[in-house]
Amino acid sequence: MVTLAIAKQTLEDMLRRKILLILLIVAVAMIALGPSVGFLSPRESSAVLRSLGLAVILLAGLLITVLTGIQVIPTEIERRTVYTVLSKPVQRYEFVLGKFLGGLFTVFVMIASMGIVFIGVLRYQEGRFATEMIQGVMMTFFQMTLLGALAIFFSTFATPVVNFFLSFGLFIVGNMSAVTESLLNNKNVATRLIAGAVHYAIPNFGNFNIQNKLIHPQVVIKDMNVFIMQNIAYALIYSAVLLLLAIIVFDRREV
Amino acid sequence: MTASTRRNLIAAIVVLFALTVVLQVRIDPTVADMNQGRKTPFAGLSTEFILGPLLGMQQAVAGLLWVRADEFFHEGDYDAILPMVRIVTWLDPHNLDVYITGAWHLAYNFTDSSERSDRRYIPAAQKLLEEGDANNPGVYDIAFELGWQNTDKIKDYVRAHYWYKKCAEERKGMDERGELTQPVPMFVWHQLAHSLARLGRIDECIAVWRKALAMSTEIVRKDPKDYSKRNVRDSERHNLELTLKRKFSRYQHEIDWELDGKLTKGIDPITGEPRPRDSYLFLNQDEIQRKLEQFKIVGETPPPMAVGQPRPPAVVPKWETAFDVRPTFTADKVLELKGRFNVGDGARVTIRLHDEDWRPPQLKEFTFDIDQNVTLMQDQHSVRQGTWGRKIDMSKDPKMYSFKSPYYFLVFEFDPRGTSPFVHDRFGWSGEGMTDKKYLWEEKEKDPPNRILRKVYRISRAQVLRRTPITEADVFPTAKYVELQTQAQGTRSE
Amino acid sequence: MAAAVSIQGLTKTYLDVWSKTEIRAVDNLTLEVEEGEIFGFLGRNGAGKTTTIKMLLGLIFPTLGTATVLGKPIGDTDAKAQVSYLPEEAYFYEGMTGWDTMDFYARLFRIPEPKRSERIRQCLKDVFLDESAWRRPIRGYSKGMRQRIGIAQALINDPKLLFLDEPTSGLDPIAHAELREIIVNVGRQGKTVFLSSHQLPDVELTCSRVAIIHRGKLLTSGKTQELTAGDKVEITFSGGDAALAEKVKAVAGTCEAKNGTCRVPAVDPQKVNDIVDLIRGAKASVVSVVPHRRTLEEVFVDTVMKAGAN
Ligand SMILES: Nc1ncnc2c1ncn2[C@@H]1O[C@H](COP(=O)(O)OP(=O)(O)O)[C@@H](O)[C@H]1O
Ligand SMILES: [Mg+2]
Repeated sequence: MVTLAIAKQTLEDMLRRKILLILLIVAVAMIALGPSVGFLSPRESSAVLRSLGLAVILLAGLLITVLTGIQVIPTEIERRTVYTVLSKPVQRYEFVLGKFLGGLFTVFVMIASMGIVFIGVLRYQEGRFATEMIQGVMMTFFQMTLLGALAIFFSTFATPVVNFFLSFGLFIVGNMSAVTESLLNNKNVATRLIAGAVHYAIPNFGNFNIQNKLIHPQVVIKDMNVFIMQNIAYALIYSAVLLLLAIIVFDRREV
Repeated sequence: MTASTRRNLIAAIVVLFALTVVLQVRIDPTVADMNQGRKTPFAGLSTEFILGPLLGMQQAVAGLLWVRADEFFHEGDYDAILPMVRIVTWLDPHNLDVYITGAWHLAYNFTDSSERSDRRYIPAAQKLLEEGDANNPGVYDIAFELGWQNTDKIKDYVRAHYWYKKCAEERKGMDERGELTQPVPMFVWHQLAHSLARLGRIDECIAVWRKALAMSTEIVRKDPKDYSKRNVRDSERHNLELTLKRKFSRYQHEIDWELDGKLTKGIDPITGEPRPRDSYLFLNQDEIQRKLEQFKIVGETPPPMAVGQPRPPAVVPKWETAFDVRPTFTADKVLELKGRFNVGDGARVTIRLHDEDWRPPQLKEFTFDIDQNVTLMQDQHSVRQGTWGRKIDMSKDPKMYSFKSPYYFLVFEFDPRGTSPFVHDRFGWSGEGMTDKKYLWEEKEKDPPNRILRKVYRISRAQVLRRTPITEADVFPTAKYVELQTQAQGTRSE
Repeated sequence: MAAAVSIQGLTKTYLDVWSKTEIRAVDNLTLEVEEGEIFGFLGRNGAGKTTTIKMLLGLIFPTLGTATVLGKPIGDTDAKAQVSYLPEEAYFYEGMTGWDTMDFYARLFRIPEPKRSERIRQCLKDVFLDESAWRRPIRGYSKGMRQRIGIAQALINDPKLLFLDEPTSGLDPIAHAELREIIVNVGRQGKTVFLSSHQLPDVELTCSRVAIIHRGKLLTSGKTQELTAGDKVEITFSGGDAALAEKVKAVAGTCEAKNGTCRVPAVDPQKVNDIVDLIRGAKASVVSVVPHRRTLEEVFVDTVMKAGAN
C-alpha cells in the first residue's frame, strides 16, 4: 500500500510535467500525420507507415522513460520531499519500488496513448485493426521497463546528467545485440570475451526489436508467442536484478 | 538492512542474473531469425541515420533513405544510388523494390558513351538480387526479376529458367497485409513457358502453357466479368496454339505423331472436347501438306509414330549460314566490323571483347566494387540482307575500356535460342537445321543440345592500338576458348 | 520517566572535498529527551542541529555513536510510526493540493479510510489552515500556509514524538505567535517535541528543557528555568527615610530612591534577609522581592561566547 501510494503520487507528479506532455503531443501528431509520408510505392507505404509509427512510439517512449527514470528519485532528494517520506514508516526499498512503479505507470500511460492513436490511424488507413501491432507496442513497453529499471538503478548513485548518458549509452550498446552476437564466434579470444560480456551482461535491448517481423510478415519466426514470452520474462527478471541492486545501493544512500 | 538480508539479496541477484543469461541464450536464435539478412551498418552513414538503425527503427530510416535515392535517380546520379541501395538493404532487407531497382541500375544504367551497358556490373546485379531473394524467402518478386534479367540482359536462359521455375512453383505473392497468401501472377507462368522455349524444351513449354491456360480458365470461371483475366486466358490460348503450330511447322516429322493423336480428330488438346477444325492453323490437312513441302527434308524422315511414344530425334531442314566477320581497328580502340550471315533480316550477332583472363566472376557476396582494370565490351548488331557492319568506338570511355591486359578475346556469336521466331522457323529452336562450314559450335552439354555460331580471335594490345593488323591467323579455336572459359571458372568458384 | 530520545556519543563527520579536511558536523553528542517535554535544541546556524535530527530519523547515518528513539534503535519502523518530522524548510510536491498532500502522507502511515479523511480534516483545522486552501495546489501557498501544512502533516499520525526543525524561521510575527501556540498545544497533549531553533524567545516561552550545541558539541543542557535563573535579586520598597536608604545602600551597594519608592537592583541572595529585616525594622513596606532572571538569549550568548573564547 505504501509502495502503491508512492507510485500513484509519482505518476501524478510526472503527468503534471509539461515536457512529457509536449513529447506526447508531438509523438501523437507524428503518428497521425504518418499516412502523409506513405508516398513510396504502394507495397512499401504500409511498411513505412508501420515502421514510422513504431519508431515514433519507440523514440518518444525512450525519451519519456529516460527522462522519468533519471529524475524520479533525484528530484525527491533535490526538492527534499524525500525527508518527509523517508522519515515516515516507509522502508527504503518501498520507496525505490514505489518510484520505479510510478515511473513505469507514467511510461505505460504514454506508450498506451500513442499505441491507441497508432492503431487507430492504421485502422483508418487499412480498414482493419492491426492487432499484431499491439505486440510491437507491448514489446516497446517491456523494453522501456528494462530501461527504466536501469535508469532507476543509476539514479541511486549518479547525477541525472551522468545517468542520462549512461542509460542512453547502454541502451544503444544493448541494442547492438546482433553485432555482439556475431562477435561471439570471433577468432580473437579477447574480442570474444568482450562481446560475450557485453552480450550477456548488458541488458539486451536489441531482443525487443520485433519491428522487422511486424512490418514484413514473411519473416519466419519459429514461435512468436514463445519469443515474446521469453522477452517479457527477460525484461522482468533483468529489471528485478537492477531494482534489487538499486535497493541495496539506496539503502546506504544519505539523503 | 541487515547484513544477512543484504547477503540474501545479493544471492537472489546472482541467481536472477544467471536466469537472464539462460534466457538470452534461448532468445538469440530467434533474434537471428528476426534480423535475417540485416546488417548493422556504421560506416558511411551520417549521424542522423546511425541512431535510428541502432534503436531498431531500420525500416523508417531505410524508407527515408530510399526517398533520397529516388531523387538521385531523377538527377541521373547513378553512382550515388549504389551505396544507398547497399545501406537501405542492410537496414531493411525486406524492401523488395530496393533490390529490384538497385539491380536494375547496376545491370542497365551504367553505360559507355554509346549507351552500351557496363557488363562488369552484371554479376553484382545478380548477386544483389540473389541476396534479396534469400532475405525474402517465399516472395516471388525478386526471383522473377532474376529470371527477367537473365533473359533480357544476360541471355542466360538456363538460369532464367531456373529462376522462373522457382518463382512459379515455390513462391507466393503478398496480400495487402503483406502476408504470403496469393498465387503468383500468371505472367510468371508465361515467362516460365517462354524460358523453356528459349531452352528448346518445347514440349515442356507447351505443358506449361496448358497448365497456365487451365489455371486461367478456372480463374475466369470464378470471375467471368473480369476482362483483364479473360485477356490473360486468351493470350495463353493464343500462345499455346502458336507454340503448337510452330512446333509442327518446325519439326514436321513429328506431325504424324501429333496428328495421330488429337489434332486431326478435331479434339481440343486441352479439354479433350471435340472442337471446330479451323481453330488450329494446321488442322487443315491441305495446309499441313503445304507446310510439309515447304522445307526440304535433309536426312531420313522418321517413321510415323503412335501417340504416347517418345519423340524422335529432331531432324529439320539444313541451312548453310556462311557466317563470317572481319574485324579491323581503324583508329586506336575503334573497332570496325564487316560481316556476312546468310539469315533473315533482323537476326542479331553478339560481339564481345574481353581480357584474355576474364571469366564471368562468381561473387560470394554482393559488392559494387568492380575491378576497374577489366575490359569487357559487349554489343549486338542485326543483319540486313545477309551482311552486317558496325563501328565500335572504345576510345572515349577509358574507365570502361582500360585495355590493361596484354591479350584479348574478340568473340562473334550467334545463338539461335535468343533469336526471333522467323529465324527459328528456318533453323528450329536449337539451331538443328543450322550448318556452317567454319564456325558451327555444338553445345552438347546442353539439354537439348544447342548449335551456335562462334568465331573467336585472340588479339594483343598492340593490335588494339593498331601496331599490327588483325589477320585470320589470330582466329582462335572455339573449342579451346570454351575450355578456357569453363575451366578457369571452375577454379575461381572454389 | 522514560527517555523519548536518548543519544550516546553521536558523531557525524563530513569530508570537505576542497580543503580535504574533516568537518565534524556533530561531535560526540550525548543527550536525553524525556517523554512529554518540549525540548529546545539550540545552536547557531551550522551548529549541527539538522544533522542530529536527520541522524535520529535515519535519513543519514552516524559516523560514530548510537541513539534510540522511543526506546527503539534508529530507523525502526514501529518507532517511526509514532514519530513525525517537520523539516527545516517544509518541502512539498508543489502540484499537489493541500488535501492530497495530507492524504499521501496519511497513506504512508497506513491510516485507512474513513479514519484517514477524518484525521486530515482534524489536522488541517488544528493548524488553522483556511479551508478554502485545502483543494488548491501548494504551489500557490504562502510561507505561513506551507508551515501550517507542514505541521499538519507532522500531526497526521497523532505522534508521540515530533521533530520540528526551526519551524518558526521566516514567519511574520502573527504567524509566528500562532505557530508557537500550536506547539504549546501539542505539548499540552502530552506529546514530546524536539524543537530545533535559534529563535530564543520562542524557546524560552515554550520549552521546558533546552540544550545548546556549538560546532557539533554540546555546551550545556538543563531546565530552562534553571538556566535563566540569575544570581541576584531585586528588592523594591516604599516608605522609610533617607537613613534607611543609607543603611540599605551600605549593605547592598546601591539604592535608588524615586518618588518615595526605593529600588535595590542587584542583591546577593545571601543578603536578602538582612535587607528585608532592615526595611521591616524601619517600618517601611516591601513592595517586591524579585529574583533576577537572565533571558535565554543572554544565557545563549554567554555560553557560546565563552565556548568561542576557549
Ligand atoms: N552533506 C554535508 N556535507 C558536508 N558538510 C555538511 C553536510 N551537511 C551538513 N554539513 C555541515 O555540517 C555542519 C552542521 O550543519 P547543520 O546540521 O545543517 O547545522 P544547523 O542545522 O545547526 O544549522 C555545517 O557546518 C554544515 O556545513
Ligand atoms: Mg539546520
